[in-house]
Amino acid sequence: MKNKILNIKNLSKSYGAFKVTDEITIDLHFDEIHALIGPNGAGKSTLIKQIVGSVKHDIGSIILDQEDITDLTDVERAKIGISRTFQVSSIIPQFSAIDNIVLSLLDKSSKTFQLFKSVRNNKELYSNAKKILKEIELLEKSDISASDLSHGDRRKLEVGLALAMDPKVFLFDEPMAGLDESGTNMMINLFKKIKSNSPILLIEHDMDAVFALADRVSVINYGKIVATGTVDEIRRNELVRDVYLGYEI
Amino acid sequence: MIVEKIFNKWILVFLFLIPVLGFIFEEPYYITLTTKVVILGIAGIGLNLALGYCGLISFGHAAFFGLGGYVTGILSFHDLNSELIFSWPFVTSGSSEMLVIWPIVILSSAFLALIIGLLSLRTTGVYFIMITLAFAQMLYFFAISWPNYGGEDGLSIYMRNSLPMINTMDPLTFYFICLCWLLIVIFISAKLINSSFGMAFQAIKQNEERVKSVGIETFKVKLLVFVISGTITGLAGSLYTDLNRFISPSVLNWQMSGEIMVFVILGGIARLYGPLVGAAFFIVLEQTLGGYTENWQFWLGLILILEILYVRTGILSLFEKKLKYEK
Repeated sequence: MKNKILNIKNLSKSYGAFKVTDEITIDLHFDEIHALIGPNGAGKSTLIKQIVGSVKHDIGSIILDQEDITDLTDVERAKIGISRTFQVSSIIPQFSAIDNIVLSLLDKSSKTFQLFKSVRNNKELYSNAKKILKEIELLEKSDISASDLSHGDRRKLEVGLALAMDPKVFLFDEPMAGLDESGTNMMINLFKKIKSNSPILLIEHDMDAVFALADRVSVINYGKIVATGTVDEIRRNELVRDVYLGYEI
Repeated sequence: MIVEKIFNKWILVFLFLIPVLGFIFEEPYYITLTTKVVILGIAGIGLNLALGYCGLISFGHAAFFGLGGYVTGILSFHDLNSELIFSWPFVTSGSSEMLVIWPIVILSSAFLALIIGLLSLRTTGVYFIMITLAFAQMLYFFAISWPNYGGEDGLSIYMRNSLPMINTMDPLTFYFICLCWLLIVIFISAKLINSSFGMAFQAIKQNEERVKSVGIETFKVKLLVFVISGTITGLAGSLYTDLNRFISPSVLNWQMSGEIMVFVILGGIARLYGPLVGAAFFIVLEQTLGGYTENWQFWLGLILILEILYVRTGILSLFEKKLKYEK
């Protein structure tokens, strides 16, 4: 228990008779990347939404760093250290890239309710934002409106927003979707670097990236975890091959 | 952006010049008209904070405008008649001192906005519009059925409220009092918009789910914006009562909410000076077209339709484009 930063037990969610997640038990250890893979519609993104609190679960519990966060709201969970990216890029379109990052830094620096001081004169916030933009290789595009960024750059900005929160855990929902090779490599290197500070629960369809990154992999199908293990164990698992019929793993 | 700033400065120059010229050429009508523009501009700037910058489509800002107006009217009415407003639980008398009335208006408008905001901000979209409208209509019907303060006929206060050592009955003096308030409101709004808090509420308008996901309590942010917005509009209501020396339930009606919204849309949503330009355009239209036809609002409707179809970002953006082209 002590080496688990995130511990999810029997998390279930149904829409009528349809069980989107069915008694999911999964955990995330310190210093690890735990990948969650499965076919489209298996329940991966719904699980993320349940963990962050934007979708209410029917039963189950979520423990973060030995604190029961099951009854907390989505904002409270974000405040105490759950940071996410969205499956479809969710940024502030009319803000520049750097302003998006600064927004993400506001709560941590207790600046949200600073009413009369110009945010743009806050050198500390902008200097921290620049460091994050450098990490995600967007520093040169810091003043470009987020709506004018390419799809790949928006994915990077999503990760940047999560990084800025300096959370206890990251929940990344397909962060590499649509990235080119160099973008994917940048993400892989970045994730390897940050996992020691904040472990990552990673949903990703790019199997090369998953196998390059993951310390453990769980496979979800029809809302149930059907297998959990190391990369090699998952590669050899017959059931996983069945679940992924048509996928090369 | 620089062009817009230059244009905004010109607006202030005009706001200074027109009443002064009205005074020089002994045309107090123009002073009163410009005073009305300034007061309604303040109301619009208040709404613009909520609607334009935070995406809260309030159709109930008449409640704050009317409350500010009625608080001013009631305090003044009791002072003129030397009657107590309450004798229990504590003795409360009226006042005709603006320095007493304004803080009471600000506090009461903020309190009403807090109550309405606490209940209505739990909803979004059309439900939010309907709840804010419902609150304003409740106050409207309450004012109509309150005979103590004139009911449907409204309440006259005969004498404009006073400021120490200043003759507020002089139209130009009262105009400059209103202009001072406008400048204060613009200053406060500009500070808010450029602050961290402003960054948060402008982000909420664009993508609330994302703002929540970075740990910002969007409900609290929206509530505070709504309270500030309602307070500014309430203050405008107070000045409006002093301008007309009269208050009636019509300022609480949904049409008033609609008019304030029209100022914002006409001038430019999420543009600091937009509501002021919108209010000026609205009043000029009312005065010019109103002289030819009672149905001048038909033409206003037509202009609004054309603007929404072809300009969308308001009159200010039109000027911005023209100035840029000339440059």
